[in-house]
Amino acid sequence: MNEHDSVIRVNGVVKRYADLCAIDGISFAVQGGETVGLLGPNGAGKTSTMRALAGLSPWDQGQVSVAGLDAATEGRRIRQIMGVVTQHDGLDNELNVTQNLELFGYLAGVSRTAVRRRAREVLEFFSLTGRATDDVDDLSGGMKRRLAIARALMIDPEVIVLDEPTTGLDPHSRAQVWEKLAQLKSAGVTVLMSTHYMDEAAILCDRIAIMDHGRILALAPPHALIERYAGGQVVEIRLDGAERQILRDALRASGVKWRELGALFRVLDGDTDLTALQELAGVRIERRATNLEDVFLRLTGKELDDE
Amino acid sequence: MNEQALRWRSMVGVWRRHAVCLLRTWKVALTWFLIEPAFVLIAMGAGVGRLIDELPGHGSYAEFVTPGMIVGMAMFHALFECAWGCFNRIQQGTMETMLTAPVTLAELAAGEVLWGATRAIISTLAVGGFALMLGWLPISALPGVALIAAIIGLQFGAIGLCFAAASPSLSTLTLVFTVLATPLFFFSGSFFPIEVLPQWLQPLAWLAPLTPGVHLARGFAVGAMDMTHAWSALYLAVLSVGFFPIAVKLLQRRLVK
Repeated sequence: MNEHDSVIRVNGVVKRYADLCAIDGISFAVQGGETVGLLGPNGAGKTSTMRALAGLSPWDQGQVSVAGLDAATEGRRIRQIMGVVTQHDGLDNELNVTQNLELFGYLAGVSRTAVRRRAREVLEFFSLTGRATDDVDDLSGGMKRRLAIARALMIDPEVIVLDEPTTGLDPHSRAQVWEKLAQLKSAGVTVLMSTHYMDEAAILCDRIAIMDHGRILALAPPHALIERYAGGQVVEIRLDGAERQILRDALRASGVKWRELGALFRVLDGDTDLTALQELAGVRIERRATNLEDVFLRLTGKELDDE
Repeated sequence: MNEQALRWRSMVGVWRRHAVCLLRTWKVALTWFLIEPAFVLIAMGAGVGRLIDELPGHGSYAEFVTPGMIVGMAMFHALFECAWGCFNRIQQGTMETMLTAPVTLAELAAGEVLWGATRAIISTLAVGGFALMLGWLPISALPGVALIAAIIGLQFGAIGLCFAAASPSLSTLTLVFTVLATPLFFFSGSFFPIEVLPQWLQPLAWLAPLTPGVHLARGFAVGAMDMTHAWSALYLAVLSVGFFPIAVKLLQRRLVK
């Protein structure tokens, strides 16, 4: 396949449940070898989008295809070349580590010898060789997640979709997962992942789609998103004894727009003239470089972890 | 979704998962398959059977009750596997995860039901082998009885899957045993001929979904068949395939959102 062909194509997809619109007309494409992240809060439509790609749940309008296969009718053929890692590990605790992997090889029609070899390879890749015959319940959370990703690799996929691959993991385990995902990317695997972690999206993704309420609000490389939507700097004002109301009045008087995050006041436009505030006692003004969080705030008007 | 054709390999893959599990826990499985049925068989045949004279056309009570017990046990095994087992795996999300493999929902369901039938066959060979040694079942009857048990396994595997998919909780799931399996076990002609039931109850007993299996298995055991067995065979054929599409539908409603 040509490196520059779109491997994943989503065109005008709408999915409604009885009382809400889970996907509200989204379109995007992922090129071969690219890693794209869907970044958004719970309920943004990330999981629904990924399930549609795998042909696992129906949608109401639009087209979805993977490697030229129509997800509406050829889900099986898609899942033959696309590994799917769900948000919940879904590991089979009646099987041991290796048996969990082998099951998915057999289900995909891989021959017995090839299944055994592949299981050894992916265990090695995920540093789980020493746990090959252990019960799944004896693994740590990070190991379980790695095993769930390893399972998706049993078919030696061209594409892999991961739904919040590091949610619930400790920082060390997250870093381990990132390391493996980065290796997959350098091996040329096309990756679509959802996340609600800014750092994860920024580290792993070539492009990020900011999603909210079933829509894609922006889709671009991380640095481009920051440049376009967040500007160079933000100002953060911390209360250091002063009353909130005093700071509010001062900000209003300067004609500045701000957001309050507890005791932290954030001014998104870093070029704002805030000299008037410097005279206020008990406030500390800091400028910092913008990040994806500011992009998200600017685009949606809320913090990513607001529910 | 619109992939109708069932792929054999996927169904075998699902089936294989269960075989691997069974081999992992073979010690526990052995009690299931051998010890429990042996006790029940001896209790009914040698215990209750002592108190009962020969049944006309059936020989001893033990010979009468053996095919009924075998088919009843086959039902319990298939139901247990597909109702209890599948319910647990739906709750744990492992069934949903299996669908992320190149497997369709119908194949997943078929693999489960095939496994239910396999357990029914294993149980039949265990109980049947025991009955052979005791002289309560002629060896010539074993293939026929095993065939019936396999079909009963398909039928009750699908019924079990319906309950697993439709049950919101464990307490509703147990209904499959208390409301369905236990009454069927006792009122399908396993322990006494349906003819001894009150007139008005007899048609109901003949319609009970375990009855054709028991009737046919006993036909094989006695070595004599008549028109009633032909009707039972037809009824059993309908029952054995009839519940599967319902199970697929219910499972779809449960797993595909």
